[in-house]
Amino acid sequence: MSELKVNNLRRTYGKVLALDGMSFDVADGEFFCLLGPSSSGKTTTLRAISGLEELEHGSVHFAGRDVTESAVQGRGISMIFQTFALYPHLSVEANLAHPLRRSGESASDIKKRVGEVAELLRVTHTLKRKPTTLSGGEQQRVAIGRAIVGRPKLLLLDEPLTNLDAKLRDEMRTEFKRLHRELGMTMLYATPDQIEALTMGDRVGVIREGKVVAIGTPRDLYGAPTNTYVAGMIGSPPINFVTATAPSDGEIALPFLDQPVEAPGVSSGQPLVVGLRPHDIALANGEEGGIPAKIHLTEPLGDVTIIDIRTRDTDMKMVLREEVAARFRVGDEIAVKFDPRNLHFFDPSTGARAAHAAT
Amino acid sequence: MADTASTKGGFGAWLLDPKRRGALLVTPAILILFVMNIFPLLWSFGLSFFNYKASSQRVPRFKGLDNYGDVLTDEKVWERFQTTAIIVSSSVLLQLIVGFLLALLFAKAFPMRRIVLMLVLTPMMLSFVSVGVFFKLFYEPTFGVVSYVLNMFTSEPFVMLGSPQGAIIGIVIADAWMWSPFVMLLVLAGLVSVPKYLYEAAEIDRASKWRTFRTITFPYIKSLLLLAVLFRTIETFKLFDIVYIITEGGPGSSTETIAVYLYRTAFQFFKTSQSSALAYFVLFIVIVLTNLYLYSVNRRAEEVN
Repeated sequence: MSELKVNNLRRTYGKVLALDGMSFDVADGEFFCLLGPSSSGKTTTLRAISGLEELEHGSVHFAGRDVTESAVQGRGISMIFQTFALYPHLSVEANLAHPLRRSGESASDIKKRVGEVAELLRVTHTLKRKPTTLSGGEQQRVAIGRAIVGRPKLLLLDEPLTNLDAKLRDEMRTEFKRLHRELGMTMLYATPDQIEALTMGDRVGVIREGKVVAIGTPRDLYGAPTNTYVAGMIGSPPINFVTATAPSDGEIALPFLDQPVEAPGVSSGQPLVVGLRPHDIALANGEEGGIPAKIHLTEPLGDVTIIDIRTRDTDMKMVLREEVAARFRVGDEIAVKFDPRNLHFFDPSTGARAAHAAT
Repeated sequence: MADTASTKGGFGAWLLDPKRRGALLVTPAILILFVMNIFPLLWSFGLSFFNYKASSQRVPRFKGLDNYGDVLTDEKVWERFQTTAIIVSSSVLLQLIVGFLLALLFAKAFPMRRIVLMLVLTPMMLSFVSVGVFFKLFYEPTFGVVSYVLNMFTSEPFVMLGSPQGAIIGIVIADAWMWSPFVMLLVLAGLVSVPKYLYEAAEIDRASKWRTFRTITFPYIKSLLLLAVLFRTIETFKLFDIVYIITEGGPGSSTETIAVYLYRTAFQFFKTSQSSALAYFVLFIVIVLTNLYLYSVNRRAEEVN
């Protein structure tokens, strides 16, 4: 069993608090993503788990053992660095063989194992070359190969796709999922990119300023974000927020609507932040009436177009399929609608989820 | 047809014309270089084919390649080359070891590092003459510091420069003391250029300290070490000042390097033509070494790119 328990990690750099009570568990064989903006403590967390970083407080348990004080070498944990960190003076083959040198395996066994890994990652043709002569994607694959060649029980990945271009990133996302399935290894993946986290993670831990603010499956985090931070972090284009108040119990008045909408569990006079996802806003056809809105910006993405609309001083984003969006120009008046059950309510002072219309 | 610019301003204006400014600025340097370096170089080359003696009034006679023949068959020349080789190899080796260890020390952060580093670099900034005088005084048998310290253990005064071996060791120590900081600087430059994440990757790979040094650190300092060896070899090969001050080539001729021998031939025995021939012989060796040096500098530059 190779489950990981990270408990209450704390680390400061001078006056900057990098980790402030970071805690989470990763189950055996799970693909767990840490999602957070830059300098939120992702890298420090991974380095602390690998043992490269010393902690002021907290513990790391791995495979049922307290490894907080263990040396890096004794943890059975491997890591892929954002910079790939391939040894520039060694051939790809020697890079891949490097982690096996201490295990006492025979030269022929090492060669065989390197061959297997090179095959798995499709870098066999580069074995004799130096890393600097490889393309970014090939370097990335070699870095993965070096990390998995020693059969670690846990693989840490520190923003491994940040240094690649967009097309390669898509390819490598699929590659990581395939590897995870084929090797059955526990993986902990840090990324600032919500798409990476949502597409690859079995579960995602959203972190902010050195601690976890929400943990859940991608579906849970998207469907029922636990606070405004998570709601804003997940989903593209980002969720629309408007402030509103409840005129009476169970009802809420939105600034762009004449009629209050149903909001069970909301008490009279309560101020709220209301979240509405761009994908949950649709065009209204003539008979339905709908909310009048004016288009003031369009961002075509190919298959869909993000449309910035203004309705009574409130700016919002919505998404339309390209063939629908093509009918409109900037400045056109349209009518939109949404299902009140898709509204998310948050407390304006704490940012925590207040109530949900659907529950 | 009169050129208005030149007729108006005369020679001064013509000279200060912006077109000629570059040439005007380099002329003094070229002149000095020619008078002080190039002319003597060619003149001495000419002299090496005559039997000129600077101390005699006789009209020099053309001797062809005889001087070169004399130098090549002179047993003393080969002995002096041997002495030089011993001093060069042991001094450069000592500089490498000490410089390398110092670099490892200074690659780490410790309190007062900058101040200590400055102190360690001082010997290299001193003039050869002062280093020579320092060590001559250190080695002095009656009041020198080396003799004083050793006197605490033995009752007899210690004469460092009394034996041929002792004299060579004394010179090697003085030269290595002066130039180890130079090797250290080069190696240190290599050490700090190693990206830190490579060491972290090696830790993750469970690599031993020795393997980490071999696969990561050494490739980064390899070419710089070669540069240090070549540069120091060229310099030490011409070693004169320190030897001349500390031992004057003695005892006997046991520390007489080729440079000291050359000086003696030219200015004590006044065999001017023969010494010119010997000087050209030395120059040839230095040029070969320098080309090796330049070759490795270029290779290093290619590696860095």
